[in-house]
Amino acid sequence: MKLTPRPAAAASTLVDTTRRRWLQVLATLPVAAGAAGTATPARANVKTSARVVIAGGGLGGIAVANRLSKLLDGARITVVDRKEEHNYQPGYTLVATGLWPVEKVRDRNADFLPAGVQWVREAVAEFDPEAKIVTTAGGRQIPYDYLVVATGVQLDYAQIDGMDVGVIGSNGLASVYPGPQAAQATWAAMQAFVQTGGEALMTLPATPLKCAGAPLKMTFMLRDRLQQAGMLEQSRIGFQSALGNVFGVKVVNDNVLQRWQALGIGVEFNHRLAAIDIGAKRATFATPEGETVDKPYDFIHVVPPMRAPDAVKNSPLAWQAGPFAAGGWLEVDKTTLQHRRYPNVFGIGDINGTPRGKTAATVKKSAPIVAHNLAEAIAGRPPDGAFDGYTSCPLITREGSAMLIEFDYEGRLTPSLPLIEPLQESYFAWLMKYRMLKPAYLAVLKGRV
Amino acid sequence: MYEIWLVMNIVWEIALGIWPLLLAAVGLWLVVMVTALRRRGACWLAGLPMALGVGAAVTLAAALWVPGWNKSALSEMGYWVDWVNLLGLAAGFGAVAMAFAWPLSAMRQAAVR
Repeated sequence: MKLTPRPAAAASTLVDTTRRRWLQVLATLPVAAGAAGTATPARANVKTSARVVIAGGGLGGIAVANRLSKLLDGARITVVDRKEEHNYQPGYTLVATGLWPVEKVRDRNADFLPAGVQWVREAVAEFDPEAKIVTTAGGRQIPYDYLVVATGVQLDYAQIDGMDVGVIGSNGLASVYPGPQAAQATWAAMQAFVQTGGEALMTLPATPLKCAGAPLKMTFMLRDRLQQAGMLEQSRIGFQSALGNVFGVKVVNDNVLQRWQALGIGVEFNHRLAAIDIGAKRATFATPEGETVDKPYDFIHVVPPMRAPDAVKNSPLAWQAGPFAAGGWLEVDKTTLQHRRYPNVFGIGDINGTPRGKTAATVKKSAPIVAHNLAEAIAGRPPDGAFDGYTSCPLITREGSAMLIEFDYEGRLTPSLPLIEPLQESYFAWLMKYRMLKPAYLAVLKGRV
Repeated sequence: MYEIWLVMNIVWEIALGIWPLLLAAVGLWLVVMVTALRRRGACWLAGLPMALGVGAAVTLAAALWVPGWNKSALSEMGYWVDWVNLLGLAAGFGAVAMAFAWPLSAMRQAAVR
């Protein structure tokens, strides 16, 4: 079955309401203050009737949709995502450590999609880049001329035997990644643990991660909560890394390990969480030598292995060889974010098979580049926007203090404000994380910064 | 340049989140200003010291209050950037307080005379 773009239907709506139009007018007012701030050369709008499909309605998908709707004149843009709720994922660690109410990470996708964009409320099930068709879980086929893959990651809890996401929050089981409810439940589990103290295990898988700082923040904050409750003496925190480090950027890794040593947080490397017995509160770790180590716990923070969603992993869009092939990550050029074999395909966010973990800051820097390069491709010009891999991670070290770490593909620290030392913990970095990053995120989502 | 644009957007988004409060504050300030400007004998110059005093007092109070409001503490101010940031924010609160205090103080001077 083939689908041509059609008017509003039950699972597909043309986003265009009066109230939203007013909100969008309000939201775009600062543009009048200056159209500065994009990392790409400015060009006039591209006139086109191209069909652009954006697979995924997270930060990357919506940010690109907003930018393309301004850059392209006449394009038919379709966003495919079944999620109605938009979650501010960088806030999950704040919810999970009792710093924010859960409502602060919950919004509606409908409030951010630009007017005139068609929204198909279904999950993407299949990509056929040869036929240029996206197929949804409901069997609908959506043809495209240009495709932006923004599906995010698949949290692969199934790789951990015995893991049950449904019981996060009970029996000392915590995991911040699945969503707002899990973050809230994680805070409940943390509060219960802080009352009694005991053995805490914090895990890190060997796969690429979204927000690779989150496991570290959770560890710092658990220690802080124990200290606040006067339960440090009765507790022990052990960080179990499946890798030979705890963070991919060496200078940050060394700094964190030094801090943890001073704080009494133990670290074991090359210990991959393989199985968990939630009822008995026991975790099994596998080592590269093939041995297994069984550990009892009172509190465990599970960070799931991550990979590309099946729709990407099982498609020709995934890397076919090399380090990103196993996870099925999208094969894009790391500089232009254009697919290496299908030039009408671009990728943004966590799905990209590019070096370094991704965060919302990665999208902040790369969304303008993806939108610009796609517009250039439509105009028949070579993509000239270049992404340097910029990522930032406000690493909370305790309640009230954080480090604002920014780095690029090469692992070089790239502070936006050169006078500020990235590895200096500060109230300023804390304030950024606690108060200012969500407003910045919203501006990215709306395609302004 | 990009950072300035980013900060402008952050401020704008924060303002969007509290616009009813901002609108009410601006409306109230306009009412106070218009009242003071129309008040015969309002003494702006004589009212300035008190307005400055109120602004300074509010700045000081805000410097003590802002860290806790953001779930941090004065003891976390370990870096010069922290102090610049804190004093900047506190001065912002002080400036708003002064903006209200000046017309009120100017009217009070008129009443005293």
